[in-house]
Amino acid sequence: MAAVATCGTGAGSTGSMVAAGSKNNVTSFQRRGPRASGSDSSYSRLVSIAGTRPSVRNGQLLVSTGLPALDQLLGGGLAVGTVLLIEEDKYNIYSSLLFKYFLAEGIINGHTLLVASAKEDPADILQELPAPLLDDNVKKDFDEDACNHKTAESNIKMKIAWRYQLLPKMEAGPVSSSRFGHYYDASKKMPQELIEASKWHGFFFPEKSSSTLNIEPCSLTHGYIKLLQFIQNTIYEEGFDGSNPQKKQKNILRIGIQNLGSPLWGDDICCTENGNSHSLTKFLYVLRGLLRTSLSACMITMPTHLIQNKAIISRVTNLSDTVVGLESFIGSERETNPLYKDYHGLIHIRQIPRLNNLIYDVSDVKDLAFKLKRKLFTIEGWRGRSFPNLKI
Amino acid sequence: MPPHAQPRVPQPSNGKSRRQDSVPKPKQRPDTFRKPVSTADTGSHHHQRPPRLTVRICLRKSGEQVHILGCEVSEEEFRAGFDSSINSRLVYYDFFRDPLNWAQTGEALPGGPLGALQAMCERTDPGPVTVALDSLSWLLLRLPCAALCQALCAMSRQHACRGGGPAAEQLCVLGLLHRELHGPGPMGALSSLAQTEVTLSGTAGQASAHILCRRPRQRPTLETLWFSVLPDLSLDLQGGPPLESQPHPDPHTPQVDPASHLTFNLHLSKREREAKDSLTLPFQFSSEKQQALLRPGPGPATSRIFYEPDVFDDLDPEDPDGDLDV
Repeated sequence: MAAVATCGTGAGSTGSMVAAGSKNNVTSFQRRGPRASGSDSSYSRLVSIAGTRPSVRNGQLLVSTGLPALDQLLGGGLAVGTVLLIEEDKYNIYSSLLFKYFLAEGIINGHTLLVASAKEDPADILQELPAPLLDDNVKKDFDEDACNHKTAESNIKMKIAWRYQLLPKMEAGPVSSSRFGHYYDASKKMPQELIEASKWHGFFFPEKSSSTLNIEPCSLTHGYIKLLQFIQNTIYEEGFDGSNPQKKQKNILRIGIQNLGSPLWGDDICCTENGNSHSLTKFLYVLRGLLRTSLSACMITMPTHLIQNKAIISRVTNLSDTVVGLESFIGSERETNPLYKDYHGLIHIRQIPRLNNLIYDVSDVKDLAFKLKRKLFTIEGWRGRSFPNLKI
Repeated sequence: MPPHAQPRVPQPSNGKSRRQDSVPKPKQRPDTFRKPVSTADTGSHHHQRPPRLTVRICLRKSGEQVHILGCEVSEEEFRAGFDSSINSRLVYYDFFRDPLNWAQTGEALPGGPLGALQAMCERTDPGPVTVALDSLSWLLLRLPCAALCQALCAMSRQHACRGGGPAAEQLCVLGLLHRELHGPGPMGALSSLAQTEVTLSGTAGQASAHILCRRPRQRPTLETLWFSVLPDLSLDLQGGPPLESQPHPDPHTPQVDPASHLTFNLHLSKREREAKDSLTLPFQFSSEKQQALLRPGPGPATSRIFYEPDVFDDLDPEDPDGDLDV
């Protein structure tokens, strides 16, 4: 197994396949050759799924979240089989942008999408996706931004750290479509032919819901049951859980669920404190089980600022794998505070999972702020005015 | 029974906040604000007549239908004061007289208030329509909040499907809400659905409206307008807050200095700054040495020695070992 592991796999689904493959052998070392069992040949196919790469730490298969800065914060990307929960900002501007970046990344990489929403039609959501930035355009913008940002500071010759004067100022650069993680232009829309060429499944709850049923307490609400059934059917029919051995190339299913927990899903945790407080947590538990046994990654946005019972928020955090909170400065007193004048909001990394691992993979910078420039969404370590910014 | 003489449940004059759900009006004109108004003929009783002003302003747009779901006032009271042309364009669904349909007259809409909301959508003609709900508080007290939110969102969608045009120009849902009756949960839930939120306060003489406008994918804007209501139910906009209620103006907000409330001192006095600048640092070389070190030379074959004497070196070319005590 050690020799096979150089292919860089480690996700739960492949783990089960490894166990199945090796239980007939005396040792766990397997020779790679024509004698190898069928599961071996699938490893090489697994690694070459478009848009994925193994994590440098533990070989876990990762997909990009659509935002390279967020990928870096999460330790390289979002692990396949896990849930990324975004706690929405108050006016749902930046969280919906992150949601769109996630879906756009799936389209660029050729992943299958599953979009679930109770507020907007998934077809409308897909029409609003941002356009990817091509290499030469991004290079020009990066140089421009670097010049604007550094003109004030570059005139100060460094007295102590003079050896660093000749180092290049800007390290992150544009990526081509074959690399991991792309940049998007939020002001332009994705070309129609890319959207039409992609494969997607939409779940719009008001269309799927039948008449209101009587729900017992402590059970899933109607909307959640329907959504789970839809996800399960999609995974099974498209073969993402390995149930139908696919002749064609394996692919990743990207699931995006918008505004989970809002009243439009039929859940009243945003309205009352003593509502059906177990519905959402049960949903997340079942969803995580579905994801762990399939090649899929899920991003959920949730309006946690509306949830009245704070215990639910901590349960939801425990049941998700990666939790990122967004806090925008719009409308708050921080908008006029000069400390925050360069930024549009703060990002809080609430939880990072330990997958097949004993340690976390957290970044060193804990105070993070984001800003949405005219085309790019950047995340920086925020240190206040007196200290230099750490660009990550 | 004359409608004006009967006192209604007294409502505080600064308690109504209005919501405008689903899609806002295409134009945000200043006179589209509704407020509790004291009718001129009652004098001492300050009755609140919010929906009438609402309807009056809605009907200024030509040809636009207005549907009212009336739960808090009777239809006669509502229609009193409007001339016949406006009254003929109002479509009123009465839930005040017989909300539970005990009289079984057959006029009532089936399905209770939720069914009424759906039926209102089905009965509207395609085209710009305003639906006013008087009031959402009444509905919230009788329906689960989640069901009401879903019904409100479904209204605009159904209308858009039938009309065939862009939803933004078709249906405007106006909901009235009594702020003091609800906790933060339902208020937050409805607020997240609304595209424009107008919070009214003050009395008839001076009233203020805080307007929060959240267009999709744009930054929300917040503004405050001060106005008063004239006896003929039109609005008189005022520039700023009335003088006597204005707090002392603070013209120069001091800039927040991040280094001001620390337990250590980050500021340098002039003398300290001069001393700092004149300090020689241990690895501070002359600029030619710096440049030579930054750019690697022709190769390891030639190596240069840089010697920079510091203040303690005593160079004597004749006798280099002069300082040795031999």
